[in-house]
Amino acid sequence: MSASNEVPAKAERWLQPPGRSYEAINELVSAPLLKRKKWSWKFWWIAFMASLALTALMLVCISWLFTKGVGLWGVNTTNVWGFAIANYVWWIGIGNAGTLISAMLLLMRQRWRASINRFAEAMTLFAAGIAGLFPILHLGRPLYFYWLVPYPNTMALWPQWRSALIWDFWAILSYILFSILFWYSGLIPDLACVRDRAKTPGARFWFGVFALGWRGSARHWQIYHVYHTTMACLGVPLVISLHSVVGLDFAASLMPGWSETIYPPYFVVGAMYSGFTMVIALAAAVRWGFSLQALITVDHFDVMAKILLAASIIMSISYMTEWFGAWYSGEHEERSLVAYEFRGHYRALYYAMLFCNCFLPQIFWFRAARRNIALVVVVGLVINIGMWLERINIVWITLSHGYAVSMWRVFHPTYWDYLLMFSSLGLFALLYLLLCRLAPIVSMHETRRLLSQEAQQ
Amino acid sequence: MSFAPDRRDALKLLAMGATAALGACGPPEEEIVPYVEMPEGLTPGVPMQFTTALPLSGYARGALVTSYEGRPTRIEGNPRHPASLGACDIFAQAEIMTLYNPDRAKAVLNEGNLSSWEDFEKALLSQMQIERGRRGSKLTILTGRVTSPTMVRQIQALLKSFPGAQWRRYEPIHDDAEISGATMAFGRPLLPIPRLDQAAVVVSLDADPLGPGPYQLAYAYAFAQKRLARKGVIQFGRLYAVESCLSLTGANSDERLALPPHLIRGFIVDIANRLGAKLPQEALGDDASRFAAAVVEDLKANPGHGVFLVGRGQPAETHALCHWINRALKAPVDYFPPVDPVASTHVDSLRGLVEDIDNGRVESLFIIGCNPAYAAPGELAVDDAIAKVPFSAYHGLYDDETAARCKWRLPLSHTLESWSDLRALDGAVSVVQPLIRPLYDTRTAHQLLALMGGMLSASSYQLVRETLQARAPRDFETHWRQWLHDGIIQGSANAPLAPPNVTLPHMDPLQAPRGPSLTFAPDPSIWDGSYANNAWLQECPKPTTKEVWGNSIHISPSDAAANDLEEGDIVTLRRGEHSLEAPVNIVQGQAAGVLGATLGYGRRRAGAIGEGLGFDAYKLMPIGTPWAAHNVALSRTGARSTILRTQRSFHLAPERREIYPTVTLQGFTEGNIDISERRGLPTLLPEWEYDSYKWAMSIDNTLCIGCNACLVACRSENNVPVVGPIEVSMGREMHWLRVDVYYRDEPTPLGFQPVPCMHCEKAPCEPVCPVEASVHDSEGLNVQVYNRCIGTRFCQSNCPYKVRRFNFFGYATDDVYANLHAQSFDAQFNPDVTVRSRGVMEKCTYCLQRISRARRTAEKENRRIAEGEIVTACQAACPTRAIIFGDLSNADGKVSQLRNEPQHYEMLGHLGTRPRTTYLAAIENPNPALREKEE
Repeated sequence: MSASNEVPAKAERWLQPPGRSYEAINELVSAPLLKRKKWSWKFWWIAFMASLALTALMLVCISWLFTKGVGLWGVNTTNVWGFAIANYVWWIGIGNAGTLISAMLLLMRQRWRASINRFAEAMTLFAAGIAGLFPILHLGRPLYFYWLVPYPNTMALWPQWRSALIWDFWAILSYILFSILFWYSGLIPDLACVRDRAKTPGARFWFGVFALGWRGSARHWQIYHVYHTTMACLGVPLVISLHSVVGLDFAASLMPGWSETIYPPYFVVGAMYSGFTMVIALAAAVRWGFSLQALITVDHFDVMAKILLAASIIMSISYMTEWFGAWYSGEHEERSLVAYEFRGHYRALYYAMLFCNCFLPQIFWFRAARRNIALVVVVGLVINIGMWLERINIVWITLSHGYAVSMWRVFHPTYWDYLLMFSSLGLFALLYLLLCRLAPIVSMHETRRLLSQEAQQ
Repeated sequence: MSFAPDRRDALKLLAMGATAALGACGPPEEEIVPYVEMPEGLTPGVPMQFTTALPLSGYARGALVTSYEGRPTRIEGNPRHPASLGACDIFAQAEIMTLYNPDRAKAVLNEGNLSSWEDFEKALLSQMQIERGRRGSKLTILTGRVTSPTMVRQIQALLKSFPGAQWRRYEPIHDDAEISGATMAFGRPLLPIPRLDQAAVVVSLDADPLGPGPYQLAYAYAFAQKRLARKGVIQFGRLYAVESCLSLTGANSDERLALPPHLIRGFIVDIANRLGAKLPQEALGDDASRFAAAVVEDLKANPGHGVFLVGRGQPAETHALCHWINRALKAPVDYFPPVDPVASTHVDSLRGLVEDIDNGRVESLFIIGCNPAYAAPGELAVDDAIAKVPFSAYHGLYDDETAARCKWRLPLSHTLESWSDLRALDGAVSVVQPLIRPLYDTRTAHQLLALMGGMLSASSYQLVRETLQARAPRDFETHWRQWLHDGIIQGSANAPLAPPNVTLPHMDPLQAPRGPSLTFAPDPSIWDGSYANNAWLQECPKPTTKEVWGNSIHISPSDAAANDLEEGDIVTLRRGEHSLEAPVNIVQGQAAGVLGATLGYGRRRAGAIGEGLGFDAYKLMPIGTPWAAHNVALSRTGARSTILRTQRSFHLAPERREIYPTVTLQGFTEGNIDISERRGLPTLLPEWEYDSYKWAMSIDNTLCIGCNACLVACRSENNVPVVGPIEVSMGREMHWLRVDVYYRDEPTPLGFQPVPCMHCEKAPCEPVCPVEASVHDSEGLNVQVYNRCIGTRFCQSNCPYKVRRFNFFGYATDDVYANLHAQSFDAQFNPDVTVRSRGVMEKCTYCLQRISRARRTAEKENRRIAEGEIVTACQAACPTRAIIFGDLSNADGKVSQLRNEPQHYEMLGHLGTRPRTTYLAAIENPNPALREKEE
């Protein structure tokens, strides 16, 4: 990983393919798909086996959970929600960033997104899918999760539309559907490109099938751009609504520390924050794994670090708003909750969260720090842990320190809690690794377009 | 001798069991009525209620047992019985669990091997032949306290035919000091029963009338009569408590002083001197003498309405002095002749037995219904003594410590399976009638005694009838039926005696102990240990500490700090050659220099539920002063354990006091009630409309004494599962109704507060459920539809009162604790209430099944449900009537009226939940003189 601190010519800031040709981009991206034999898959196999093992562990966790019940986890009568809900919010947060990058940055004409949007979208898809698993796993009777669906039934029962969980159900469902469509339709021109370059009949056939007859005609491109921009316009409110609704799961209650109007926007920013850190980690992995230094440049990390910095400031302001709101409300329960955050059982977690989310990212005020890829990745991962701690704190602190003083209890996770959490990372990695081998991991047509735009400057 | 069969033995037993099962197919000995011909008055599905009486330490409490098709499921109080007055304590209610307990002794064992009643009869007859030859000189019968007139008659008859025989009786929770004290004061044993309902000033010195015991319900009811503050009616006394360990009485007192036992004696001497006794003054601190002065002033201001009570832990002379004071005060106390027919003290009786055995004077020993191998002072080494007796037979409910030391173990019928009779503390006789045929091959104590007398096929029924024949020589059958119906023989109670002259006792100067004292008390959950194998009671939180599934050494915060101890630190307590290890629990209100332990734990042979829990405090119990061991050495072991509790936070910040506001009586009378309450807040949501009933509950915090009767009642009525110690440590107990206790920085706790579901008008749980499993019904109940629930738990996370309970495992169905899955326990379930499965949320329903039953009856008769027709289980059990349930749409109903009381409040009313369960704030009556001087 050669992190260069030299500033490249402005035109070459985002892309540096050899010869600055379109073909070079195509070659770079499609090589792992078409020249499998020449490619070294050693590290891929190591990673694949490790993530396969973790996925198997996740299956064990889930099977045992279904056999025994949610009592395996550390949840108790007061802290009825534990890791599962925090993990759900964390995963869905990660799942937000891909669409934010593709849609929001597209609409904002941040062209550099072309290099990273493809794997960010894939990340969205997998993370949202895994996130969607947790609320189901956390149910007391998971076999009846479909009762959230308004289907005609002999019991003549309908879901209860006032519940934030129903809103949540629809938000996740529509978001996942949208993400699949958006990701797949963006993939079509690239699949066609790989199809056209494929040497073996099998590859030609399968890429051809999934390219859905894309010929690259001007009309195709024209329709594609109208469609893609329209989808992006749809995606932005969707991604904002998704995490707002997740915020409403908490805000639409009456518990101290949850019943706050700041929650929806605060959750959206939090989602973007943790999602971007994951994108950074994946960008570094993809860049290194597929030798895409030419397509993902130091400037990408630089600009993403800036976004992290901005998000960290917003998060810090959000935390302070919470503290202020608690004080300003005059309610003893709210104030006592803030005091509990700083002095209660989970204070170590709370301080760790503040360090990860508020203090450490300030290092990105320094340009040198932003341009040190290893540092950006490490800080990003620390922030991601901080964001997980934030979700854990949100769930635990309020439930542990609610209105009923006699029922104050502390949450103690069991090893099943940890196993499921870590093994879900394995599933994510597994899906990701499979995708790397099956589809172009960087958008060729968008990077080509970026190249032409750079050339015009 | 332990019973550990090898493979061959197991096969033999299997074969034997198979033949026994074949044999069981034959017709029973007595005539039974086939069910196909419906017995008169029985409708399938409609339960019947029968009266009976249940013993606690031998004394009867009247019970009303609900039975479904011959299967008893629920025990409530008999309103006609003087020791229950309609309420029911935790021990009586939990007898259902004992009845169906699979660990009960089921068959006769001889030296640990399976045997039969026939074999025992043979052995017994030859043994009794030998005894007859020596006029019973080596025959001893050991019982607990016996109040049953039939049993007394039988034993006396035996003693007549075996003149040399001994009757020893030992009750672990005995009243030796009380009886000796009365003898000292009056020259004869008398049982004082204070009339708390007539006492304006009650001073309890280490006594615990409101705590667990055979007369708790009656005392609590009487106490409640002097605890009433309503608009226009104020009957309010003042309760002083001076004690070493926080008891329920101390917890409910208006003024409390924590003193070590020897200073309590000094305190009463000081009081007596202030009333003119002229005894040598004993050492007493400034605080205590100021307290004594205030008490005396208060007593003088209420002539004839002050009463002193002294607990079993105080020596006889303190009791005698208390009698002297009560006479000086003309206190409202009734003196009854003791019901217990044995004159000697319990400890002497047991010591006599051990001496007899050691001197070879016992060759035939019959132990009936008591467990002295466990529940006796460790110094006596009763278990080793029993093992030395050549012919010993143990007749008990369980295969316990004593059974293990006896040659023969005979299974005893449970009270609910037996005909018998029992007397209450005041002598009132009840007939015990069985609710069910014996589940196993058991016999009653009457049958065993008859057998010893040579009657082979005696029937308890006949024996009891013979005893009671004298009470109604004419028209016996009519009277008999009346007695069975009433559950009490009217007019059988002893008349209170005119108090004889009292002598002022001589008080020997007392030496203050040098080291810490260890006091012993019956456990509030499992009594003397006889309820150790009862899962309901093991999981019943101890009122003041909320500890479950174990006991701990209670230590005062100052002693803990001095010894550098934290909660859960395991310490070694040593007294002479006896020692024990136990975790400490730092308890507010514990006197400095005093350690407190409850009895009943550390059972070595109790059954699947009761074994291996806590420590056995009997080990350190001295013979001389059985309720306190002085100069105990305490040392840390360095090990730690967790004290399992169901409540962990006991202090309310001033701003949170709206959860449990308190009002002084003075403030109440002056109309100065400062309950900072915000209710009737505006709402955007549409109002519910009701066109029929509006169910509601009011709970009076003033009246709640924290006895847990409601909690066990709820468990029993609503099939609330026991989760076991591990799940409790995970914080998952299932009590639908909890009793919270709050403390302040003073020796008196703030008080107790039962918390069932609030059934909010604007329930936070309802809108958050995605599948509408939590819904509002047409009568304002907040109902939970179990088969619709998918277990998101959003309802509980949004419940500000945290009253919902989740089945994290199948606590009642598949992941059942210990032996609670045994089939016999299934018989205990209330068939009107669903047994909830894994993964669903459940909670208090206001006993919906009882509402539903009343509705069916009312609709059949084409009328509205009448006021008071529905009594919830918690309400029925409450001895002080702190819980009132009724229809809010009836403006004259009790619940509606209580809502107009000035101290009425909604818990967390500022959240706008508008609960249907509301509270009356606790009213305290502190002595202004004491408060002023403190300030």
